[in-house]
Amino acid sequence: MHIADGVLPTKVALACYALSAGCLSLSLRKTRAQDLPKVAVMTSAFFVASLVHVPLGPTSVHLLLPGLVGILLGWSAFLAVFLGLLLQCLLFQFGGLTALGANALMMGLPAWLSGAFFTRFRNSPDRVRILAGAMASGTAVAVAACGLAMLLALGGEDFFGVAKIALAAHVPVVVVEALVTASVLAFVGRVKPELITQGAWKAEWR
Amino acid sequence: MKLGKTSETSRSRSRGEQELWAVPELPGVEEGRRQTLFHRWDPRIKIASLLLFSFCAASVGTVGTALLCCAVSASALMVAGTPWRLAARRIAAMAAFLAMFFVVLPLTVPVLPGDQVATLGHGTWIQINFRGFSVAALVAAKAMSVALLMEPLLRTSPFPRTVNALARLGVPDPLCQMLLIMYRYVFVFRHEMSRLWVGMNVRGFRPGTNRRTIHILGNFLGMLFVRSLERTERVHEAMLCRGFTGRFPTRESFRSTPLDWALGAGWVLGGVAVLLLDRYETLPFSGVFR
Repeated sequence: MHIADGVLPTKVALACYALSAGCLSLSLRKTRAQDLPKVAVMTSAFFVASLVHVPLGPTSVHLLLPGLVGILLGWSAFLAVFLGLLLQCLLFQFGGLTALGANALMMGLPAWLSGAFFTRFRNSPDRVRILAGAMASGTAVAVAACGLAMLLALGGEDFFGVAKIALAAHVPVVVVEALVTASVLAFVGRVKPELITQGAWKAEWR
Repeated sequence: MKLGKTSETSRSRSRGEQELWAVPELPGVEEGRRQTLFHRWDPRIKIASLLLFSFCAASVGTVGTALLCCAVSASALMVAGTPWRLAARRIAAMAAFLAMFFVVLPLTVPVLPGDQVATLGHGTWIQINFRGFSVAALVAAKAMSVALLMEPLLRTSPFPRTVNALARLGVPDPLCQMLLIMYRYVFVFRHEMSRLWVGMNVRGFRPGTNRRTIHILGNFLGMLFVRSLERTERVHEAMLCRGFTGRFPTRESFRSTPLDWALGAGWVLGGVAVLLLDRYETLPFSGVFR
């Protein structure tokens, strides 16, 4: 779920912009200049993938993919998340323009976390790697949901209820996301294992 | 082939298509059809001043002023002459998120002295606090006012020109270039995905809540990533062939006239005025909604 305009107090929105600008410059510095066009192309793939809806009982959920972005892109993940969200905001209004900083922090930090966690398991046997990937991406969504709840709660006591509901709504997403990630990793491990063992174009943690 | 508009009765068949095609159509930026005030406005000043106004509109505290901002944005939309349909789609994209506020807030907002509260049923555990509705209305009005402004902001000049203007405004060059590349490849990958999807459908895949669906979706996304990764190499090599040295050469030139500046100043002053109005509650019905 993306935060729309006008939900966060302006101070919080601006502070989030400042923080995510910091993370963005770190992410830019850690990405080699010649890899930037490749990050952009991969980001568009993630962007399109996040539009896929997975059926879940009577409704459907759409994938958030912070975990996979972190696993495949390493340090560049924050950059990818920020640009993806910016384009989503500009094209579809998924997430407001003034809340962009908050949305980027909420998804980008978990992506980094899951990448950092997964990097220890890159060369593990298949089963362990898939399990680690599923855990990393499930945790990433859970952390993102906690971030969302915290940001909403910053709006004052009025918003505590909404924050709790938003947190609860993410429980099924955590499960779906973990399962889909496991399945993607299994596929990529069979088809193009170097993508997992090295990260995309060796975008490992440098 | 008819996609996405089938009624509930043939759900099992059309479901898969519907769920995937809940993917919003990627809107291209059309322009040049009309030459309005917004089309002629220097994009640099347009972006800066409308962004400032958006922040002002997003930080008001009363429903009255927020509705006033909505009216301002709606009239900007009318002047810019961009299709209402697209603006409506933006609002639809936020609808679920905002609806959650309307449902949850009245039930959970803490009761302050002076609040109107209705109790449902015999037990006292469901309480509807009417202040919740006005808080939700405030949030929705603020979100609407910014969302309506996005169309005049973005659809009145070509996307690359907007991005170049952003670069002139001080957004780092690498970011702008990546945005341009993304704007090109998003459409390519969406096409690629729809081809894969048609193939899956032809082979009899129908999504449901089961292991199979997850497994197949995993293969589907995995394929998308593997193909895109291979494409990144080709794209990069093609860019190098054409002499890419880390930046796109642009011939974009921006010129601003006094009218552009006046328009920009007008929007910024409007934003400040809205904040002041909000502060001193001089609008006729701001007290009612408080």
